Amino acid sequence: MRFASMEYVKKMQEVLNSDEQHRRAAKGETDSYLLVLDPEPDKGVAERHIVGYSMVDGEVTEAWTGQRKTTFVLSAPYGVWVSILEGRLGPIAAMTTRRLKIRGNLLKLLSGSDSTLRMVELLRTIPTEFEGEYASVKLGQEAG
Amino acid sequence: METMKAAVFHGQGDLRVEERPVPEPGPGEALLRIKYCGICGSDLEAYRYGLYEPGIVIGHEIAAEVAAVGPGVAGLAPGDRVTSNDIVPCGECRYCRTGRVSICDAVTMPGVTCDGGFAEYMTVAARALYRLPDGVSDLQAALTDPSSNALHAVNRSGLRLGDRVLVIGAGPIGLLIVQAALLAGARRVFVAEMNETRRCLAREMGASEVINPEVDNLDLAVADLTEDQGADVVFCASGSPGAMASTFTLVRKGGVVVPVGICEQPVAADFLSLVMNELDYRGTYASYDEYGLALDLMAQGRWRTEPLVSAVIPLEQIVAEGFEVLLQPGAAAAKILVRP
Repeated sequence: MRFASMEYVKKMQEVLNSDEQHRRAAKGETDSYLLVLDPEPDKGVAERHIVGYSMVDGEVTEAWTGQRKTTFVLSAPYGVWVSILEGRLGPIAAMTTRRLKIRGNLLKLLSGSDSTLRMVELLRTIPTEFEGEYASVKLGQEAG
Repeated sequence: METMKAAVFHGQGDLRVEERPVPEPGPGEALLRIKYCGICGSDLEAYRYGLYEPGIVIGHEIAAEVAAVGPGVAGLAPGDRVTSNDIVPCGECRYCRTGRVSICDAVTMPGVTCDGGFAEYMTVAARALYRLPDGVSDLQAALTDPSSNALHAVNRSGLRLGDRVLVIGAGPIGLLIVQAALLAGARRVFVAEMNETRRCLAREMGASEVINPEVDNLDLAVADLTEDQGADVVFCASGSPGAMASTFTLVRKGGVVVPVGICEQPVAADFLSLVMNELDYRGTYASYDEYGLALDLMAQGRWRTEPLVSAVIPLEQIVAEGFEVLLQPGAAAAKILVRP
């Protein structure tokens, strides 16, 4: 399915909520997140994509596309997100090196790093189609 | 003994209009006949939380006429139109001697620490008075204090020509900061405000973009308006802890945040962003030297205050039509003036 589509975020919600390890790691997290994938026209990604989700005590209660008010905003060029999903760039390193721009309380976000790491592992299991120069990247294997 | 009507503070949520003796001006003081006195956000906080000593007449945003002067006062005469600085500094402490008068160690504040202007008359140290320039109306002059405070906030920020500014909260001080920031050379001023009436006022005062943070994601909106950098200077003129907490990531790396509103609740401070992004947080409190500047700008027609005046009410209605209106959640009114 296409990365950051409505179908993708619904799948993301399903995958996160059905994983006991993620539920355990995210327990106590009640926040909302907006993930902004900025365009890279020179790499064939013409438009910005925005997805979001809200979490109540570790359970994803809603996932959507488009902007709305959230506790955190994480933004980066499309390719940075692809690198994170590929495993070439760690999500925590992406935050602390500012390749992933964080708006919201960074320390609070980093304190939930276990759930973030597990989330990325789980997202790698979703068969995902990327745009432009990233179309050759293939995801969809089992999480460990 | 001649008496007058005055709004006397009796504690939390208890402000009464009572008969009081007309005060006598002491040495170095002037007796003022009050024309207008504005209700300040700090008056509202005092009323809500009981912050002042019971028994004082509150109110410090005044426009008045000199009624009489006490012994030793030169250069002022009955009939002179004036406004008063809300700070009467000691003039001797290290802060006064180094020009940081608003943080004087032994300050007197009419309407806060001694009787003020929600009354027909008040006395004040003559050295705190400014004669109103020609062309400045009494109504305009009643907003000298908040104007001066807004100018002081911008002076404290160190705002530079071409900076992009975000003002969170479009109450009277936030709206005046919009104007002050533009005068100081801001390239663009963005305003975040939930109330529609205040958003309209923000546009009228010169804001280039007005954001409703209940509808739009403020972080994203500011990122889009600043090429993903964040604002150079953020003024938080809101008392909301959430709004104050958001400043840590709305400002650009190396930027300046000026907290103007007072949060009664603790704020979740993002010290990691503060350290990593080398942010400057600069408090601002009241003002002093900017009174003369505010009056001069008004006299030149370069400073607008009239759009902020939502209502002029009689002293007898100060609670029902003033304090209670402004304390309603989501109040749209900006400045309410009391005319004794």
